[in-house]
Amino acid sequence: MNVHHHSYDAVIVGAGGAGLRAAIEVAGKCHTAVLTKLYPTRSHTGAAQGGMCAALANVEEDSWEWHAFDTVKGSDYLGDQPAIEIMCRDAVDAVLELEHFGLPFNRTPEGRIDQRRFGGHTRNHGEAPVRRACYAADRTGHMILQTLFQQCVARGVTFFNEFQVLDVSLTDGRVTAVVAYELATGDLHVFGCKAALFATGGFGRMFQVSSNAVTLTGDGPGVLYRRGIPLEDMEFFQFHPTGIYKLGILLSEAARGEGGILRSAGGERFMERYAPTVKDLAPRDMVSRAIITEVREGRGLGPAKDYVHLDLTHLPPEQIDEKLPDITDFVRTYMGLEPKTDLIPIQPTAHYAMGGIPTNVDGEVVIDAEGTAVPGLYAAGECACVSVHGANRLGTNSLLDIVVFGRRGGAAMGEFVNATDRSPIPKDAADDTRREIERLFATSVGENVADIRETLQVEMTNNAGVFRTDHSLRQVLSVVGDLRARYAKASIQDTGTTFNYDLTEAIELGYLLDLAEALVVGALARTESRGAHSRDDFPKRDDANWMKHTLARRSDDGRVTLDYKDVESGRYEPMERKY
Amino acid sequence: MTQTTMRVWRGDESGGAFHNYTVAAEEGEVVLDVIHRVQATQANDLAVRWNCKAGKCGSCSAEVNGLPRLMCMTRMNVFPEGQPITVAPMKTFPIIRDLVTDVSFNYEMAKQVPPFQPKPREADGTHRMMQEDIDRVQEFHKCIECFMCQNVCHVIRDHEENKRHFAGPRMFIRYAELEMHPLDTNDRRSLLREGAGLGYCNITKCCTEVCPEHITITDNAIIPLKERVVDVRYDPIAWLGRKIRRR
Repeated sequence: MNVHHHSYDAVIVGAGGAGLRAAIEVAGKCHTAVLTKLYPTRSHTGAAQGGMCAALANVEEDSWEWHAFDTVKGSDYLGDQPAIEIMCRDAVDAVLELEHFGLPFNRTPEGRIDQRRFGGHTRNHGEAPVRRACYAADRTGHMILQTLFQQCVARGVTFFNEFQVLDVSLTDGRVTAVVAYELATGDLHVFGCKAALFATGGFGRMFQVSSNAVTLTGDGPGVLYRRGIPLEDMEFFQFHPTGIYKLGILLSEAARGEGGILRSAGGERFMERYAPTVKDLAPRDMVSRAIITEVREGRGLGPAKDYVHLDLTHLPPEQIDEKLPDITDFVRTYMGLEPKTDLIPIQPTAHYAMGGIPTNVDGEVVIDAEGTAVPGLYAAGECACVSVHGANRLGTNSLLDIVVFGRRGGAAMGEFVNATDRSPIPKDAADDTRREIERLFATSVGENVADIRETLQVEMTNNAGVFRTDHSLRQVLSVVGDLRARYAKASIQDTGTTFNYDLTEAIELGYLLDLAEALVVGALARTESRGAHSRDDFPKRDDANWMKHTLARRSDDGRVTLDYKDVESGRYEPMERKY
Repeated sequence: MTQTTMRVWRGDESGGAFHNYTVAAEEGEVVLDVIHRVQATQANDLAVRWNCKAGKCGSCSAEVNGLPRLMCMTRMNVFPEGQPITVAPMKTFPIIRDLVTDVSFNYEMAKQVPPFQPKPREADGTHRMMQEDIDRVQEFHKCIECFMCQNVCHVIRDHEENKRHFAGPRMFIRYAELEMHPLDTNDRRSLLREGAGLGYCNITKCCTEVCPEHITITDNAIIPLKERVVDVRYDPIAWLGRKIRRR
C-alpha cells in the first residue's frame, strides 16, 4: 500500500457548509488543504431545504433576543446560552454576508430578503409564530453550499476530492497529522499539519429510517473518539416529523410553514391537541412524539396503521409550485402521488445529531468539564456540539450553525496556525490505518458488513428512536455489543484499489457501531425526558439531576464511561416547555 | 416483486463489457435501488457513486437505456416490463471503474469562470433586488452538477479535442447566473466567446432535455449569453463607437 506525505498549515476535513465557510476564513492566511470523501457540492448541506433564521425583521417585528429565547427554549434548556446568543446575534451578519457572496434569497416586494415561518420560532417569547427564516425557494442549503464553494474557488482553496479521512495523529496532546484514503487509487496520504478542523457532518445512517445521505457515518466523531476525545450529548438525536413513509426522505418543515397540516385517522388535525398555540409548527421533537403517540393509540393510517398524513391539498397549486417545488418532486417520484390532490404518508425520520465533538464558541475541541482545549484541534457543524442546539434543534438553526461556527472556527484556526511552529510529522502516522485495511482485506470469509449494518439500523430505530425505555435501551445495547463482536470478524470481498466501496463501507460501519454505543449508554443513564430524548419510564424533565451535558469516553478496555459538565446558563431561566 | 435483468457495464480504462444480473425489483423502486441489490447479492465490487438518494447531490448519473439519468430519481416502472435495462457510465468522461467516471474536467472549467463581483452594499449593509430578477438567477442555481448536460453535449461527447476550448452547458449556466445576477459587476463576455467556446454551441437543446432540475439551459442561459456576446462584438453601432474611441 503506497503512502504519500504532504505538509500543510491547516487541514479541513469535510466540505459541506461548515468546512467551506472555515476554508473561506483561512484562505490566503495559511497553507490549507480541504479533504472530502465526496466532491464539495455533493455534501449533505445541499439537501437542506427550508431556510436559515436571522432576526432581520424584514416582514414583521423581530429581535435577535427573541431568536435566542426560542433557541434556548427549543433546546429544552440544555443549550449553552452564551453560545446561543453569539449565534443569534451573528445570524444577521451571516445572512447579509451570504447575500453579498451572491446567494439569491427570495425577496419582499420592497426588494429586501423575504422571510417565512418555521417551527418553534416565535415573536416576543412565544406569543405567536414569527416570519424569521430567510430562504431561497426550498433549496436554501443547496444554494448556501454552491455559494460557499464558489467563494472557495475564487480564493484558490486547495481541495482533495474523494479523499476519506481515517485517522488523526495527536502527538503530546497536539494535532500533527491527518491520514486519508484516496478512493481513486487506494493509496494512503498523510497530511502533516499544525491544525485540523473537522466538519464531517452527522451520523444518521445508524438508523433504519433516516433523512441522511449514505455517507453520513460520523467519520469525524468516530476517528476522534477512538483517539480519546469525548463525545458530548450523543443521546440527543433529532427525529424529523415528516419523512416519506418507510424511505425517510425529508419533506421540509417549510411544507407546514407554508400552511401544510398533519392529519391522523379520520382526518383529525391532531396537533391542535398537543400544541394549541402553534399547532403544526411546534418544534420537531414534540411533533414527532405526537405522531408516534397517534400511531400507538390506534389513530395511524394504512394497513399497519403506522403513519399519518401531511395534507397540502388545501394550498393554492401555484403556491406549491413556487415555494415547495422540490419536495413535491420527491413525492411524485418516490410515492407516485400528486401532493396537490393526494395526502402524503409520513413518519418521523432520523435527521440530526445535536451531540458530537465538544467545542467552545471558537470551534476549539474541549475535552473535559473545565473546558481544556486540544491545541490545534477544531470542529464545526453537525459533527460538533457547541452546544447551541441542546436537547433539540430548531429548524433552520443548522444552516445558521454551520455558517456562524464555520467562520469562527476557521478564524480561530488561522490565528493559531500563524502563532505556532510546525511539529515533525510522526513516522508511524499511517500505520494503524494500514493495519486495519490489511486486516479487512485478509478476511475473505467472515461476517457480512451489510447484515451487521442492517441489524444495527433496525435496532436503533425500534429501540433508541423517538421513545425509549430502560428495557428498550438495554436491548439495543446488548445487540450493539454482539454486533461489535461480529464486526471484529467482518470480511469484505473486494480487495481492489479503485473505488473500493466494499472497504470504505466496512470502515464506516465501525464508526457507526462506536457512536451508536456511546449514544445508547448516554441515553440509558439519562433518567429523564428532555428535548429529543424521551423516556417512557421517566416522562418528566429533571432539572435537579440532569441539567448537564453528557461526555462519553471510550476507556482503554473499550467500554464507554460517562462524565458530565455544567450547562452554561444565561438570562433565560428554565421553565416548562409549552407551545 | 418481479425479476428484472440489469445489463451493467463493468470494466475500467482498459476496456470492459456489459454483464447481465437478474434481480428482483419491487413496486415503486428506482434504478439505484436495483443496482444496490445487484451490488449486495451478486457484485460486491461494483463501483457506483451515490450519496443523497433524493436527487440533490448529483452523484449517481448514468446512461440508462441510452439516456442520461439520475439513477435515484428514475422509477423502474418507466421501463417496459420484462425487458433488460442497460446501465452504462457517462460516455463523455474518462472511465475510472464500472459506473464511476472522472468528472474532474468540469471542476477545472469551473476555476476559469471569473468570480462574482458584487456592487457595494446600501448604507444599511443590505442589498435591494426584485423577485423577478431573483427568479431568473434561482433557476440557474438549481443546478446540482450531475454533469448529464456536459455528458450529452455533442461538442465534447464526440470531440475530445474540444474539451480544451469548450466550457459546456453546466458552465454556461454558471456564467449566466453571474452575468444576470442583479448585483454583479464583472464582465465575462469576451472570455465566453474566446476561452469558453460559447460559439461552439449550435442550440440542439440536448442539454435542456436531460436536465433533472428542468433548467431551460439553452433558452434561458445559452441564447441570452450569445446575444450579449453578439451585442458587444458585432453590433455595428458599438463597433463604430469602438473605432472612433480608439482614434
